[in-house]
Amino acid sequence: MKDYRMIFTKTGMSKYISHLDLNRCMFRAIRRSGLPAWYTEGFHPHLYLMFPLALPLGVESLCEIMDFRLNEERPEKEILEKLNAELPEGIQALTIHEPKMQAQEIISAEYQLCFRSEMNLLPLWENFMQQPEIFIEKKTKKGMIQIDIHPLMNIKHMTSGNQKLCLTLQLPAGSTQNVNILTVAEKFQKCAFQAISIKNIRRTKIFSENFQEFF
Amino acid sequence: MLHEKLTAHLLEVQKPARYTGGEIGQVVKNPEKVDVRFAFCFPDIYDIGMSHLGMKILYSLINERENYWCERVFAPWTDMEEIMRKEGILLYALESGDEIRNFDFVGFTLQYEMSYTNILNMLDLAGIPIWQKERGERIFPLVVAGGPCACNPEPLAEFFDLFILGEGEEVNLELMDLYHRMRENGATRSEFLKKAAGIEGIYVPSLYEVTYHEDGTIENIMPHDGAPEKIRKRVIPEMNQAYYPEKVVIPFIEPVHDRISVEVLRGCIRGCRFCQAGFLYRPFREKSTETICKQGIRLCENSGYDELSLSSLSTSDHSQIETILDQLLNYTEKEHIHLSLPSLRIDNFSQSVLEKITTIRKSGLTFAPEAGTQRLRDVINKNITEEEVLRTCKIAFEGGYTMVKLYFMMGLPTETDEDIIGIAELAQKIVDLFYSMPGRAKGKLQISISTATFVPKPFTPFEFEPQAEKAEILRKQQLLKNAIQSKKIKTSMHISDVSQMEAVLARGDRRLCAVLAEAWKNGCRLDSWEECFQAEKWYDAFKTCHLDPAFYANRKRSYDEIMPWQHIDYLISKSFFIRENQKAHAGQVTPSCRQKCSGCGANQCLGRACF
Repeated sequence: MKDYRMIFTKTGMSKYISHLDLNRCMFRAIRRSGLPAWYTEGFHPHLYLMFPLALPLGVESLCEIMDFRLNEERPEKEILEKLNAELPEGIQALTIHEPKMQAQEIISAEYQLCFRSEMNLLPLWENFMQQPEIFIEKKTKKGMIQIDIHPLMNIKHMTSGNQKLCLTLQLPAGSTQNVNILTVAEKFQKCAFQAISIKNIRRTKIFSENFQEFF
Repeated sequence: MLHEKLTAHLLEVQKPARYTGGEIGQVVKNPEKVDVRFAFCFPDIYDIGMSHLGMKILYSLINERENYWCERVFAPWTDMEEIMRKEGILLYALESGDEIRNFDFVGFTLQYEMSYTNILNMLDLAGIPIWQKERGERIFPLVVAGGPCACNPEPLAEFFDLFILGEGEEVNLELMDLYHRMRENGATRSEFLKKAAGIEGIYVPSLYEVTYHEDGTIENIMPHDGAPEKIRKRVIPEMNQAYYPEKVVIPFIEPVHDRISVEVLRGCIRGCRFCQAGFLYRPFREKSTETICKQGIRLCENSGYDELSLSSLSTSDHSQIETILDQLLNYTEKEHIHLSLPSLRIDNFSQSVLEKITTIRKSGLTFAPEAGTQRLRDVINKNITEEEVLRTCKIAFEGGYTMVKLYFMMGLPTETDEDIIGIAELAQKIVDLFYSMPGRAKGKLQISISTATFVPKPFTPFEFEPQAEKAEILRKQQLLKNAIQSKKIKTSMHISDVSQMEAVLARGDRRLCAVLAEAWKNGCRLDSWEECFQAEKWYDAFKTCHLDPAFYANRKRSYDEIMPWQHIDYLISKSFFIRENQKAHAGQVTPSCRQKCSGCGANQCLGRACF
């Protein structure tokens, strides 16, 4: 038995594949690939697949993670090629390697977020960020709670112009604290009281502690 | 590429992957290099259509031809329709994203009557005129249809250029070849249609004139321009040679049946008198064990699915079913694949077959006794006895099953209150059986009774019968509820307004085209979805068109009445249906085709006896 981690993209139309559907898609890709997949023991054996960090529907990514197991060790290149042959357009395995970190070590993720509008977006964004607090609603086991995301938003880069605004933004991610990039984008749309469309959102990096890229 | 207008809104709809295409297994070709483009339209949403086996077969069949390209089209759900209409997005095919109004063929599959308004809605969304006569003389797009409901295509006659009757594996390509040749020669639509009417299995409704008596019944159906008097359905005589795909499109979202199917046989030996499929798909033809196993394994390998279904009208009627199961189980168990047998008969449900399937999946067991008493089961020729039901349940309970689903119909010909109470009694006997068994399975017993209103269908011995009135069905539903004592028995009952519309459309004539168009204009679509069906709008449409639904649904036909489908030949003779109808009223059963040929006429296409 051997553990593997796949880093893959989810771009273009494949961003409309939901998390649950992605699971089935990967499951079938592994089965079609002919790789010796490992099945759980027990009465209803099933193929072991794990996604440490879910991606919201409609968000692209360059750094998705999937963990799986094979019954025996195979060259990483062979696995990569066999899986890529079975993956739909937009989903492409970038690397296959032995997992080095634990899923719980994920603490944040970086996103590229682009808005488009008829008007100049920069002042609208500045107004948005000048608010002392930015509350979003979040569903928890105890019901809806309000979270101030302002201190959680780490803006690393920003370009604007030509009715376009693009941000590189880091947000908490993982099992301890997670902020959905879509709710941030929608909050801005709502606060601006203007017709702003989300041009694209893309996850670019997943980090563990000390800004180490999750590997 | 998909419309930019569309992608801007995809996140506003439920399950956007319904509308994107891009699945593994889809066939994409260079439009510059194909001669004929076929939009295969399923008149319901993606989730339903992607489970349909016929589409998978015909999609691959057409795409095997290098210069033909078949793509998939489904009805949008209401949220998507709203966006399409608002943004002016025309209905497109999933593979190319191209608008289907520019395709050569726009082909619908007619699986159930309540999908008919979806056809009109899809044509309209595509920017294609719904009425055939308004499409002009340009040869494309040809709006065509096939599938089981094409056996009485009359309620759709004025919307379609032509109908394809029977099995499509050969005739679809013949039709496309003829089209390709004639289009190259600059033929017009009507020139093509006249020629196409000469292909066996092709029915061009505009070449027939229907006249009516004053009482609304049909006086005559007359062909003109050389169209044949009778149009005979197509049959693939040898199932082992029939085309079957090795690959299918694998949906991202979960369709209603998320599995791969191998068809094991066509037709049915049973002759249940209410069952249209049992007559439409005759004669009975099996695939060999070798073909079934080869196709099943190939499909599993190519798809990655972990469920393989052996599909047919009655899979346990395959003469080699145990060998097939043995051989397939050798493969499926090793590969972690569930083998499912969706249609088993109670009477030949042997201990060993049950053991074979229980090694794989232990869920519910579904039976369809259809009627509550032996008398009525004899009338409908559902040749199973109460003893068999109980014997099978006993085997099942011993095998660890605790959930039993029972399907019944209400409003069957000759049905009395006793027959309704019989449903409750049968369910109670199953409950009593369970608790009388010392070795019963652990777990909670759950019996669910599901009743549907009987819908008389064309090409069955009950095509002459009236459907029970709504008030009568409601009374019987209440009667059944009152007769159920045990809390272990749950009931669910079908809405009867839908059943009446189904009955109207199933045996309707051409005058219903106006009603359909009116109902659709009033906002009817997705009628098979409870949340979308609007009975009053349908009744309003009838009023506007001065037609009475009861004339179609609740009227008894005499044996010599000219039926709207009189000119359609599904190989089975009307005299056989009359004979069977008489036997039904006399409470006499007809043995299965394997026991004794009942002379229905279906074997004429084989040129030999079926068995």
